[in-house]
Amino acid sequence: MSSLRFLPNPTHFPHLNPIPKHPPNPNPNPKPKHPFTQIHSALQYNRKPQLTGPTPRVVVITSGKGGVGKTTTTANIGLSLARLNFSVVAIDADVGLRNLDLLLGLENRVNYTVVEVLNGDCRLDQALVRDKRWSNFELLCISKPRSKLPLGFGGKALVWLVDALKARQEGCPDFILIDCPAGIDAGFITAITPANEAVLVTTPDITALRDADRVTGLLECDGIRDIKMIVNRVRTDLIRGEDMMSVLDVQEMLGLALLGVIPEDSEVIRSTNRGFPLVLNKPPTLAGLAFEQAAWRLVEQDSMKAVMVEEEPKKKGFFSFFGG
Amino acid sequence: MGVWSLQFNPPIFLIPHQVSTNALDFRPQLACNKTYQIWNGKSKYRSFLIRASANTSGEEDKSVKDEVTLTKLAKDGMVIIQHKVSRLQETIVSLPPVVFLVKRSPLSHLALGFCIAAAMLIVGVRAYVARKLRQKRTGSVADLVRRGQLNSDRRGISTPGMYDDPFNNPQVKISRNNTSVEMCGKVYKLEPVTLTREEQNIHQKRRSRAYQWKRPTIFLKEGDPIPSDVDPDTVRWIPANHPFATTISDITEDLAQNNVFQKHGVPFRIQAEHEALQKKLEALQSDQKLNNLAIDPGTARNFERPFKSNPKLEDQQQMEHNSKNGQTASQPESQSQQNSHESSSNSTYEEKQTL
Ligand SMILES: Nc1ncnc2c1ncn2[C@@H]1O[C@H](COP(=O)(O)OP(=O)(O)OP(=O)(O)O)[C@@H](O)[C@H]1O
Ligand SMILES: [Mg+2]
Repeated sequence: MSSLRFLPNPTHFPHLNPIPKHPPNPNPNPKPKHPFTQIHSALQYNRKPQLTGPTPRVVVITSGKGGVGKTTTTANIGLSLARLNFSVVAIDADVGLRNLDLLLGLENRVNYTVVEVLNGDCRLDQALVRDKRWSNFELLCISKPRSKLPLGFGGKALVWLVDALKARQEGCPDFILIDCPAGIDAGFITAITPANEAVLVTTPDITALRDADRVTGLLECDGIRDIKMIVNRVRTDLIRGEDMMSVLDVQEMLGLALLGVIPEDSEVIRSTNRGFPLVLNKPPTLAGLAFEQAAWRLVEQDSMKAVMVEEEPKKKGFFSFFGG
Repeated sequence: MGVWSLQFNPPIFLIPHQVSTNALDFRPQLACNKTYQIWNGKSKYRSFLIRASANTSGEEDKSVKDEVTLTKLAKDGMVIIQHKVSRLQETIVSLPPVVFLVKRSPLSHLALGFCIAAAMLIVGVRAYVARKLRQKRTGSVADLVRRGQLNSDRRGISTPGMYDDPFNNPQVKISRNNTSVEMCGKVYKLEPVTLTREEQNIHQKRRSRAYQWKRPTIFLKEGDPIPSDVDPDTVRWIPANHPFATTISDITEDLAQNNVFQKHGVPFRIQAEHEALQKKLEALQSDQKLNNLAIDPGTARNFERPFKSNPKLEDQQQMEHNSKNGQTASQPESQSQQNSHESSSNSTYEEKQTL
């Protein structure tokens, strides 16, 4: 997919040149890579992605329509970033229906939330839940499912939080990801308040697209100009049959740069059950790879230059019949 | 016929130099009759006689005669006839091996049986391996069990994977001309993104015309007056029965902000509660000193309790207590005075009663 920096002119992209056959490797990889891959993959990214823009990058992940995959995206991109050695704080701003903690498998460790912090029942650092797998990933929930968020201060509370995170001792986090609730209600308004950039998650269907366009409009009105989209639950088989809009159709309707294209993948629901984000799966799955690549582009403020449009039948060997 | 010819075709069963080439040359309408005729001639092979009996021999003779007359009519008849005859002879010569094969059918049955058994074995092993793989696959409902969201036994937890480069990965191979990519074993066609900066700006302009919005900066409860310094456009009205948001806060904005920025020490609320408790305890202790009482929590509590004003009820309870010899769970307050070694459960019960 898009690593898929698909380029007519390879000279603009140094990593496409034949030189990096043996690129300087900043983090030496102990396991030798398959020589075949070295030759065949056009891209040699044997490096940590280059962080661009001032930190913390406050990114709100929003969609308008519900259930299109905001929380899935937050969890997976968040953990991908953490694995790339960036410090990440994921804020579950889905006040009414929070579930980021479930996706991350941290549901038993959330004792305090922002509501308690505001009330003075605990300090902010006590409300941050550190992931044991990647210690540079922290989760912060806005409120307990049954308590109400006091909105008297508007979105200011989240701005304070971001400022407090900036000023904390162990240093400012590189990324603050905000999982926005569906709709354009009070929760949405609160969630977008501190953000500088936005990731718009949508699915390639007309209902999600209309909401996505609306939300993009609202974000732009609020001064958030850096908006990229992730098209989720793409099925290349349906696109080929013209039963589903292609990613390029979606782009034509919204006019937004593409951060990633996530295929429909049954592993998503399995990873939800496990509380173990997809990107940690081994072997990697299609959706996991797509999320990782999206995270990479987010770091570099890059966008996709080419998209996968349809599946070509792969020639099968004679013995594949037996091998399954 | 069909079944047999199927069996004869694979080269393994054929003894070199015969049948198949000729058989291909037979004219369709003749092919059947001729072979049957041949089988008829070979009368010693009874099994074939039975099969052939469907066609009467007279008919076959006739058809052969027809053939002969037809060829006679042709100018170059002789050559053709000679050719036909030679072919016929060839066929006859070539047949015995076939029959020989059929004769040895018990052996071939054995081979066939062996093949079927082998195929079944392969299918079985495959199904078993597939099931094994499926069991190994993670993320099933079993994981919900593991996380305590469902009740059942605990099951295995798999290890996380590490692959550091999502673009340069054995799972991702981009074709040399950048027109296709192979991901996770599937090949996808690639198409370039054509969106330009201008198009993006056009969309942005369209949206800014379509959606005009000011992000609300203040949330008010329905019915609240709008503060004088606030633009009415930026007020968001929160209904009193909003499912998860409220404008009511028991804390001021400054205090809340301080709480967020607090880095060390005990949080405000905890501290306030702690201090209040401390004060209460001190007051209590000074009170007790004033009354020259030993600092014993049990007696202190008793001292605090107001006595019940109904002496009649007390007497009644006293009598009841005496008769039951102190075994009742509910004990009247007067008893606690008698018995200085009060158990804690009794005192909590009293608290409940008086509260
Ligand atoms: N790429 C995908 N393939 C298959 N299923 C997916 C994919 N992405 C999301 N899902 C499924 O869609 C459902 C909703 O996902 P998710 O909770 O992330 O959406 P959401 O936008 O956060 O929803 P909400 O608006 O309620 O917060 C989940 O059950 C998830 O498993
Ligand atoms: Mg969600």
